[in-house]
Amino acid sequence: MLGTIRFLTEPFTPGYMQRALAIALILSVLAGLVGVVVQLRELSFMTDALTHTVFPGVAIAFVAGQSLFIGALVAGAASAVLLTLAARSTRIDHDAFMALVLASLFSIGVIVVSRNRTYSADLTALLFGRVLAVDSREILETAIVAVVALGILALMYKELLLRSFDEAGAEAMGYSLLRIDLVVNILVALVVVAAVRAVGTALVVALLITPAATARLVCVRLGRLVVASVLVAAVAAWLGLVISYDTSVHHGVRLAAGATIVVVLTAIFAAVATVTAVRTRRLRRRTLAEVAS
Amino acid sequence: MRHIVDLYDSGVMRRALIEAVLVGSLCGAVGAHVVLRRLPFFTITVAHATFPGIVLASIVGLSELVGGLAFASLLVVVIYLTTGDRGLDTNTAVGVALAGSFGLGVLLQSAQDGFTKDLAAILVGSVLAVDRRDLLTTAAVGLVVLGSLAATHKELVLRAFDPEGAAAQGYHRMLDLALLLCVGATVVTSVPAVGTILSVALLSVPALTARLVTQRVSTAMVAGAAYGAASGVLGLTASAEWDLAAGASIALASASLFFVTFAVVSATGRVSRRHVLRDAVPA
Repeated sequence: MLGTIRFLTEPFTPGYMQRALAIALILSVLAGLVGVVVQLRELSFMTDALTHTVFPGVAIAFVAGQSLFIGALVAGAASAVLLTLAARSTRIDHDAFMALVLASLFSIGVIVVSRNRTYSADLTALLFGRVLAVDSREILETAIVAVVALGILALMYKELLLRSFDEAGAEAMGYSLLRIDLVVNILVALVVVAAVRAVGTALVVALLITPAATARLVCVRLGRLVVASVLVAAVAAWLGLVISYDTSVHHGVRLAAGATIVVVLTAIFAAVATVTAVRTRRLRRRTLAEVAS
Repeated sequence: MRHIVDLYDSGVMRRALIEAVLVGSLCGAVGAHVVLRRLPFFTITVAHATFPGIVLASIVGLSELVGGLAFASLLVVVIYLTTGDRGLDTNTAVGVALAGSFGLGVLLQSAQDGFTKDLAAILVGSVLAVDRRDLLTTAAVGLVVLGSLAATHKELVLRAFDPEGAAAQGYHRMLDLALLLCVGATVVTSVPAVGTILSVALLSVPALTARLVTQRVSTAMVAGAAYGAASGVLGLTASAEWDLAAGASIALASASLFFVTFAVVSATGRVSRRHVLRDAVPA
């Protein structure tokens, strides 16, 4: 028991690991919450698209020597608007149109980065982040974004819920669906922005999709869904950092911290999905047996 | 014009050009089905899924194509087996798979200290590095994929426009699995040219452009192939001329072709307000 506790806490003695844990936990709470909205509205594709469209902003800021955070913020806001409009296009199939928008914007990002000589190292850092290298200013920036996003979520909670479960009702009550959709996409964009430094634009999509998807396997009620989603994200963040630290320090295998968190998340999802599938099957068989007898 | 021809003076550039045209036309043709069946998101996921496979293959020294294809097929089969009436919501499964496989790829890559293959090359392509064998593989996979699509064309179109009718006639989900595997194989072959992240560009944008000019699925496949090949040529030329990343230039070229076609088609009144592009016509 004591050994387990030591295993789980020992990695967080160095300052950089504490900072990594702090930012990973802030992100998992934020992404776990916003992820529930993504899940309810079935916005996985939109989320993935947003992570790609924020990238050019980060790339331009990087090449221009400006704050990545500001670059991501500007690109996030612009792409939230653009993708909201793309998703509503009636003349062109919107899935394909979204693919068009995300591919074009991401390409612009790649082209901008490729003008630099150290191109492939930079690209990797921007896409996958460097959770072990965050400083306290970046934690503060992330925390501010998280507070803003949670504030929006709290203010719009009722409308978001209504829009998710009763689209026609929301429209009849005079809510602008466009405006609500825009708010959701801005929320997702804010999470991507908050995550740029720590896990990069490519891995944040896991934080936004997988915890809420795992929660949905076991919960139906919204309150529980939110708690479970945040919990799964936080546990995975903690475990991921512990595993990545432990294997690097004690076993000589360097595992990227951000990627380890994502793999742990996916493993949790797979485990929960298997358990629920087995239970459902058993339940069904029992019901069938009862009906037969 | 002379200047542009000169760009293709070297063997490297000529091979790159052939690869770009082959991949562009293959993706454009297969893309007709991707757009028709609303598979862009799935395509992105398969593309992400090839990533850990490619990393794994380069670590153990296998062909990257085999590694990518094996991993992508595994993912396609897992998604196929766990979704539909078997429980998991397709969008969720696809999303989780997308996010997870990217993480796995990066994890594998980070564990390998002396990993030689450039991560960026897998992500955004390195068309200038293709060799003769890559060209032959692309051509061979292309022939198999296009052959399969041609052989099942009638059934695929029926399935797209009338799923119940197709089911009633006994075509079950195996047909979908075959289509998904075809898309997967196409994604894998396009990775050397445009990379895992941008392969969705070639697999959906040229086909989307083709839909602007034609409503028939078979014509859209041909037009998509033409747009895809044109994107390859334009993108590669621009990249050589202005020293830009090739994969990204090809993706941007395909997007530019879309916008130009859209402007022309709108200006000439070929698309009226009533002419809704989402509704394709069978065959």
